[in-house]
Amino acid sequence: MKRFTAVAGTVLSCLLILWSALPLPVPAQQETIKIGVIYGLGGAAAPYTKPAITGHEIAVDEINAKGGLLGRKLQLVIRDDQSKPDVGVREARELILKEKVDFLMGVIHSGVALGISEVAKEYKKIYLNTIAKTAALTEEKGHRYVFRSASNTVIEGRAAAILMANQPFKRYAVIGPDYEYGHRMVDDFISYLKMLKPGVQVVGEAWPKFGERDFTAHVNALLQAKPEMVYSSLWGGDAIAFVKQAKPYGFFTKTEYMNIAAADLDVVVPLGAETPEGIWGSSNYAFYYPDTPANREFVAKYKAKANDLPPAGAFFGYVGTYFLAEAIRKAKSADTEKVIDALEGLTIETPIGPLTMRAYDHQATKGQYWGRLKRVPEFPFPIMGDVQLIGGEKTLRPVDEIKALRGAK
Amino acid sequence: MPDLSALADPGFLAVQCLNGLTQAMFLFLIASGLSLIFGVLGVLNFAHGSLYMLGAYLSYTIASWFVGSPAAFWVALILGSIGVALVGGIIESVFLRPVYRREELDQLLVTYALVLIISDLVKLAWGAENRSGSRPALLAGSVVIAGRDFPTYNLFVLAVGPLVALGLWLLLRRTQFGRLVRAAANDREMVGVVGVNVTGLFTGVFMLGAWLGGLGGGLAAPIGAIFPGMDVEIIVESFIVVVVGGMGSLGGTLLGALIIGQLNAFGILFFPRFAIVFVYILMAVVLVIRPWGLLGRPVTRG
Repeated sequence: MKRFTAVAGTVLSCLLILWSALPLPVPAQQETIKIGVIYGLGGAAAPYTKPAITGHEIAVDEINAKGGLLGRKLQLVIRDDQSKPDVGVREARELILKEKVDFLMGVIHSGVALGISEVAKEYKKIYLNTIAKTAALTEEKGHRYVFRSASNTVIEGRAAAILMANQPFKRYAVIGPDYEYGHRMVDDFISYLKMLKPGVQVVGEAWPKFGERDFTAHVNALLQAKPEMVYSSLWGGDAIAFVKQAKPYGFFTKTEYMNIAAADLDVVVPLGAETPEGIWGSSNYAFYYPDTPANREFVAKYKAKANDLPPAGAFFGYVGTYFLAEAIRKAKSADTEKVIDALEGLTIETPIGPLTMRAYDHQATKGQYWGRLKRVPEFPFPIMGDVQLIGGEKTLRPVDEIKALRGAK
Repeated sequence: MPDLSALADPGFLAVQCLNGLTQAMFLFLIASGLSLIFGVLGVLNFAHGSLYMLGAYLSYTIASWFVGSPAAFWVALILGSIGVALVGGIIESVFLRPVYRREELDQLLVTYALVLIISDLVKLAWGAENRSGSRPALLAGSVVIAGRDFPTYNLFVLAVGPLVALGLWLLLRRTQFGRLVRAAANDREMVGVVGVNVTGLFTGVFMLGAWLGGLGGGLAAPIGAIFPGMDVEIIVESFIVVVVGGMGSLGGTLLGALIIGQLNAFGILFFPRFAIVFVYILMAVVLVIRPWGLLGRPVTRG
């Protein structure tokens, strides 16, 4: 009975001994500029992070094809954080100490991002966050070594509030996944909307767990509150399941619905023809807007590499890499402190136009796209109609507000 | 600030109750397979959630072959779940058969390894993107119950659950196969000694359990997202149902699913932010008062 365990144990120990005796990779011979890239590669995060990695790779290939930076090639070292903060922190430490990476990028899970940010501060390495949205990362918990090229919950929440300030709705209900991101996306929307439009009321709230399978009890409870508009911070699979399950309850005829991820490709493509016409949807990136040569070129590059349309993750990976690369070029050095100085206030050209990394809080001026979903003959899924861009410069928290937040800590 | 005025509205109560029942039927279908396999084979099958996920993916893919045909959903549901049963047969005979006589920890390790293997295979075969199936036109609409819209599809699930429960009961109580299965659950050595092909019997039971998981996945495919990782959440919920109802007891699994379905449906009215807590409290109370579950038996297994 115990034999198997004994044999397995012996084999494992042998392997361990062998592995620890292997010569470590030769450090310090810095031929390449190494960038550690960390994402949750499985589960619900995968539809965002797989394209993100492709985005990083496209950028790195482009830069290397032109001879790299400072005569050195860029190299990505990719790790899986399993969307768990402790794993992310461990991977970040290992990337710094063992792989000797020069920079850290990536992360979709807000909790992991906050953890890695602390590691970056401790080891004085730049961590440029590409997808995770919690505003805390660059606001109250911001510091010299953390940057974000993506938008954040304040930008997204306020953008939605600016959009709704001109609409007649007063009775709002809210639904979001029950964790940091889901709550902040709701709080940052409601608090700003109440400022812009006094008299707005929250008449119902629902907090399903992330990855919920059955939303029907929430659907019924939300309808019972008789809202005029339901604001939803569900994303990915949750956003799909909610719409599918709510539809036969007559949900979309009884209330308006706005969802921060409803225009994401990984939501509209699976929903396809079942998407209720006219719901308000947002996305961090749209391959069809703005319809400019730069965006079309990016779409073509992504298609060539991945044989697919680029989702938001692809844009984030690509643009994050270029922020770092342009800063290294400007600093004429890969030295952390010099690159930080170069990144602060840096403006780069991106597929959607220029973006600036704000000097004070290290947050990029990434705007948000909103539109009402409509079917079009060109695609088997709906797209945003009359796209509105609510620019980051309008929605970023002013510097004094951030100072006050940081002071309050 | 929970708003409990909804509880005074009969229409709301009726629909919410049906929502809880629908959820219970899903939980029952999936957890009954887990319970059956544990009851007879004595194996805690961690990979049951993976079989559920496989059922969703297979049904999705089969339905896509018949896209546009009104039969797509039905063919996909039947073939998809049978496909999962076949996969279950392979899993049982290749991976589990050699470890029945080992310690429970070894069996657990094998089924856990299967979770990882199936998860990677699913990613290889279907990629990481979200997918979702379609309801058949017949079940896509809604009916009016107590003055409110209620999805026809949920009514269908409400019918499938009891039908499967009845079918399982008849199978286990009224057939030769069922008698042997129950005998094997009590004393597999003795059943073997009297000349019954226990090996084949176990394979059959595992395939039946896998079929139930696959059917649950196939039913979930048109109303939710299909993605790698959907196996994790369901296995936790199934375990809770089985622990509450009683390991190996099908009646207990049904009862556990019914209670948890209603707790989830009404819990959100009291604590929108902490509704899940009711389920864990229930499980803790059951474990303290009746550690073998509501309808389970205190068994000592050798």
